[in-house]
Amino acid sequence: MFHSQAQGDLGIFGNDPAAVIAVKVLGIFVIMVLMTLLTIWAERRVVGRMQMRIGPNRVGPFGLLQSLMDGIKLALKEEIIPKGAHLAVYVIAPVIAATTAFLTFAVIPLGPQVSIFGTVTPLQLTDFPVSVLYVLAIASVGIYGIVLAGWSSGSIYPLLGGLRSSAQMISYEIAMGLSFVAVFLYAQSMSTSQIVAAQEPMWYIVLLLPSFIIYTTAMVGETNRAPFDLPEAEGELVGGFHTEYSSLKFALFFLAEYVNMVTVSALATTLFLGGWRAPWPISLWDQANVGWWPMLWFFGKVFAFIFVFIWLRGTLPRLRYDQFMKFGWKVLIPVSIVWILIVSVARYLRNEGGLESRNLLFAASAVLVVVVLVSYTLDLRRKKSDEAEEQRIAIEAEQEFDPFAGGFPVPPMPGQVAQPSRRMKATISSGAPASHTPAETTEGN
Amino acid sequence: MNGESVVFWVSGTFAVVGALGMVVSKKAVHSALWVAFAMVNIAVLYFALEAPFLGTTQIIVYTGAVMMLFLFVLMIVGVDSSDSLLETIKGQRLLASLFALTFGGVIVASIASTLSSPSAGLAIANAGYGGHLQAIGFLVFGTYLFAFEALSALLITAALGAMVLAHNERWTPRKTQDQLQKERTFSNHVTPLPAPGVLARNNSVDTPALLPDGTTSIESLPNAFRGEGQVSKSNSIEEAGK
Amino acid sequence: MKVSVEYQALAPIIILLASGVLSVLVEAFIPRTLRRPIQLMLVLASIVLAFAYVVINATAELAGDPLVNGGQVKGLRELAASGSIAIDGPGMVIQGIILLISFVAALLLAERQIDPQGDAFASRSSTLPGSEDERQFTAQGWLQTEIWPLYLFCVGGLLLFPVSNDFLTMFVALEVFSLPLYLIASMARRRRLLSQEAALKYFILGAFSSAFFLFGAALIYAATSSVNFSTVAVAMENSSQDGLIIPGIGMIAVGLLFKVGAVPFHQWVPDVYQGSPTPLTAFMSAATKVAAFGALLRVFYVAFGGMRWDWRPMMWVVAVLSMVIGSLLAVTQTDMKRMLAFSSVAHTGFILLGVISTSAAGLSSTLFYLLAYGFTSVGVFAIVGLVRDASGEATHLSQWAGLGKKSPWIATIFALFLLALAGIPLTSGFTGKFAVFTAAIDGGATPLVIVAVVASAVAAFFYARVIVLMFFTEPPVDGPSVVVPSALTTVAIGTSAAFTVLLGIAPQPVLDLVINAGLFIR
Repeated sequence: MFHSQAQGDLGIFGNDPAAVIAVKVLGIFVIMVLMTLLTIWAERRVVGRMQMRIGPNRVGPFGLLQSLMDGIKLALKEEIIPKGAHLAVYVIAPVIAATTAFLTFAVIPLGPQVSIFGTVTPLQLTDFPVSVLYVLAIASVGIYGIVLAGWSSGSIYPLLGGLRSSAQMISYEIAMGLSFVAVFLYAQSMSTSQIVAAQEPMWYIVLLLPSFIIYTTAMVGETNRAPFDLPEAEGELVGGFHTEYSSLKFALFFLAEYVNMVTVSALATTLFLGGWRAPWPISLWDQANVGWWPMLWFFGKVFAFIFVFIWLRGTLPRLRYDQFMKFGWKVLIPVSIVWILIVSVARYLRNEGGLESRNLLFAASAVLVVVVLVSYTLDLRRKKSDEAEEQRIAIEAEQEFDPFAGGFPVPPMPGQVAQPSRRMKATISSGAPASHTPAETTEGN
Repeated sequence: MNGESVVFWVSGTFAVVGALGMVVSKKAVHSALWVAFAMVNIAVLYFALEAPFLGTTQIIVYTGAVMMLFLFVLMIVGVDSSDSLLETIKGQRLLASLFALTFGGVIVASIASTLSSPSAGLAIANAGYGGHLQAIGFLVFGTYLFAFEALSALLITAALGAMVLAHNERWTPRKTQDQLQKERTFSNHVTPLPAPGVLARNNSVDTPALLPDGTTSIESLPNAFRGEGQVSKSNSIEEAGK
Repeated sequence: MKVSVEYQALAPIIILLASGVLSVLVEAFIPRTLRRPIQLMLVLASIVLAFAYVVINATAELAGDPLVNGGQVKGLRELAASGSIAIDGPGMVIQGIILLISFVAALLLAERQIDPQGDAFASRSSTLPGSEDERQFTAQGWLQTEIWPLYLFCVGGLLLFPVSNDFLTMFVALEVFSLPLYLIASMARRRRLLSQEAALKYFILGAFSSAFFLFGAALIYAATSSVNFSTVAVAMENSSQDGLIIPGIGMIAVGLLFKVGAVPFHQWVPDVYQGSPTPLTAFMSAATKVAAFGALLRVFYVAFGGMRWDWRPMMWVVAVLSMVIGSLLAVTQTDMKRMLAFSSVAHTGFILLGVISTSAAGLSSTLFYLLAYGFTSVGVFAIVGLVRDASGEATHLSQWAGLGKKSPWIATIFALFLLALAGIPLTSGFTGKFAVFTAAIDGGATPLVIVAVVASAVAAFFYARVIVLMFFTEPPVDGPSVVVPSALTTVAIGTSAAFTVLLGIAPQPVLDLVINAGLFIR
């Protein structure tokens, strides 16, 4: 009566001998640390390239050991604990942040069943019926690390950073959770391995594109990465929640941030990109989804996401806080809810054996995208027209240009013509060479 | 001792410690943290009782949302507010603990008296549904559908109430960034106002800045320091030179 | 597996909750100036529609069980929404009473002519009391129209509460109607700090008592593996787990007795009645009490009916305490609203007599008492809101001196309500008390009835004192005046007075109605 349609079977989990579990745990830990080192290196190199410089290339081949050396340096630095800090909480905060970051990876499927020391076991530490919810739960505990760091530092900037990040992460966690719902509805399961199994015919990025877009947006907000890195907006809050942290404790936050990046990317891969399944041309090879190969596809996809993270950071400026919250609550969440409604209707129709729901779903996503775009353009146009009107009035109101209005030198408004300065007048009248104009001098520098 | 009872004794103890910690902590933030700790441990107990859905939801809802909002509010209202230990009603604490102990004792004793009878067990509860998750799904969207739908009224009420009590509207429209910028452009000060103390003899906030022509600028001071007798006097270049 | 929802039977509840949602949308999308008339129409229309549905359901010719009352009974009798809601005679009578009271109370809430600054609610309850913001909003004539969606949700929850057939649904209903009440209680236009304090007290104590209710439900579930009333009742017959059942019953009783305001769970009553905006007090004192007694009756008749020998002693104590303490403390009050609050506590005790008798007569007499008391209570608080001086309502007893000379009409109607509260013959209060006392004596609670009669005598003293104060003393020089209200309040007071007199002179049709309503279904 209530049988799940997902193909996977959770019975294969939880039977491993202790040695295999230990290997898996250690493996995940090592992979995460290596991924972190690699990601930091990649970030510096890629951002460097985007900014037309080279990036670290001295330590090791291609500078690969740079982040390891930085880590060692960080660990050896002097540790400063502020006087006003609440010591116990201050110490626990980075630990919470780092541990929770690692915990999530326990339920990410890295591959199908393989043989480790003769034991046939899935390439996944464990799985249970609600493992995606477990990821959400761990993420919500992880926020405590940041919030508590902010509070316990006994200083204003960290406190504001902590407040910002908790508000931000809670808001974006809602959108994130809602984006999962469509996946659950289609996979008929909340377990990661079954979701991967359910994507065999078609990846959910195709079927549930709006969910994917919402999730990827929310995941950037959830990891406090640019352009949503408001908790550590250095122009406003110095370092945000970790302003008062130094040495190894700071390193833990650093580690947590990058591990989280990897984790959310891995989750995106699992939920929308078919997990460890090989992408199309490779999937024609019948060995593509067997044995240890899938791990390669998996990490390939994860790195693609991480590249996007870095790309975003290299490209986009930081959002203003109120715009950011507005975006989360007034765009992402309503759109997700409408989308879930559409998906449930499509599912219902399919269950009732009526319409071919897939086409309906494609049509609905197209409509949704169009609606969002239209409302956005309308909004833009409305603002533009307001602006034009005000500008006209403003220019009419002030035609006379006074370069020293109120005693301060001011530039001319649009529509006004600046009178040439006395020195300029002198230059022009004396017929001096044009190369002395200030503009060219600047360019020469 | 099997795994489940180990988990029970460890997490159960932690949960009780968390609950006690919440009561004895003087700082509100510490209390909130203890509750969060207790909640996580209760979630672990749910996991051990083969109710992973309840466990995760417990963490997401209570630890992740409710207690986080508590912390949020506590941080906003006052980072270091501690409880006052003053008794406002005489003998209240004694009476309260007396009642609490009696009540707790009666409850514990009466529940303990029923422990000998066997429990129905999870298998019976899940039978006919195909699993824990499906059973919960059926109860929420089947048997208790109406209550579930009525809950949405409760949630709307809560959201509306929060807005009504806390969202302060403006009786004049807010100026947009655009308008503010225009106002500034067409005012007498396009550039930011000079900071107090600029070019003056000292840089305290009550010292007005000196303009290039040697006069002082009262606009460089914060509003609070612009009043009569509050502006520091000895700051003109001439006086500094003497 | 298909889930069926009996829309016809649930229509009143669904109408109210749905129009609550609609009303939120009105708040969001309709311009500020248009909101009040639209909201008001929406509220009144949905209450009328819901009442129409209750009447339709209650008079429906049913193919059902001809054995009930020899086939005389009409109307729906069914378990709706997978057995979580029971639509039956008493349930529909209570829903009808709640809707009638809600309609009248909505008129009071909408009144805008009593206070020169607007209605009874703060212009913006988010502003700090005494702040510049508050002054500006008040001067610009803003109205807090959000009370209407809250009110609709509240009435919807009240309708669901007495017909819930399991502890979970009942708990949800309890919260659905409580939360809006906490909110609206904090929104008085005058004496805002007092109002906010009242709301906070109400909220904290209310949350505490809901926790008791939930704990009790959990214990009952542990003992019987069910939260459904009928299943619980059956399981209790054969259960030996008294260690869970008895504390469970006790805790559920705490949650429900808190809502009806019985001693020793009455502490919130005077503060909340005094601090809340008076129209809300009128609504709360009547409708909440009716709904909560409806739920109390259903729980103790259906779920715990078989355990009556266990819970009766507890109820005896609560009833005696409510009557005695309510009446005695009312005598000592000097504030009109507080006095009426304690009188409401005493009345809770009287109504509990009907609950204790656990018989068909007990049920029908309780229903009658609830209708009678509800309307009297609405009327009495409506008039309290009319007597004002420059700073707002004049609630101190001394300010009421000589009111009969200044405005004889209002004073006379007020005296009528007080006489009804005291239970003087030819008023509704007498008929109600008579019915309840008779049922209690038949149920073997004669000592309780003796206590009740003594308490009534004490109560009559302080009601009479107010009447003497109004008619036989000279008015103070700078005393308050009675404001002339708009048609809204006039209609509300008129209706209440009419009910009070009619139920006293010709109670028979209503008595027939409540008797024909039959028993709760299982």
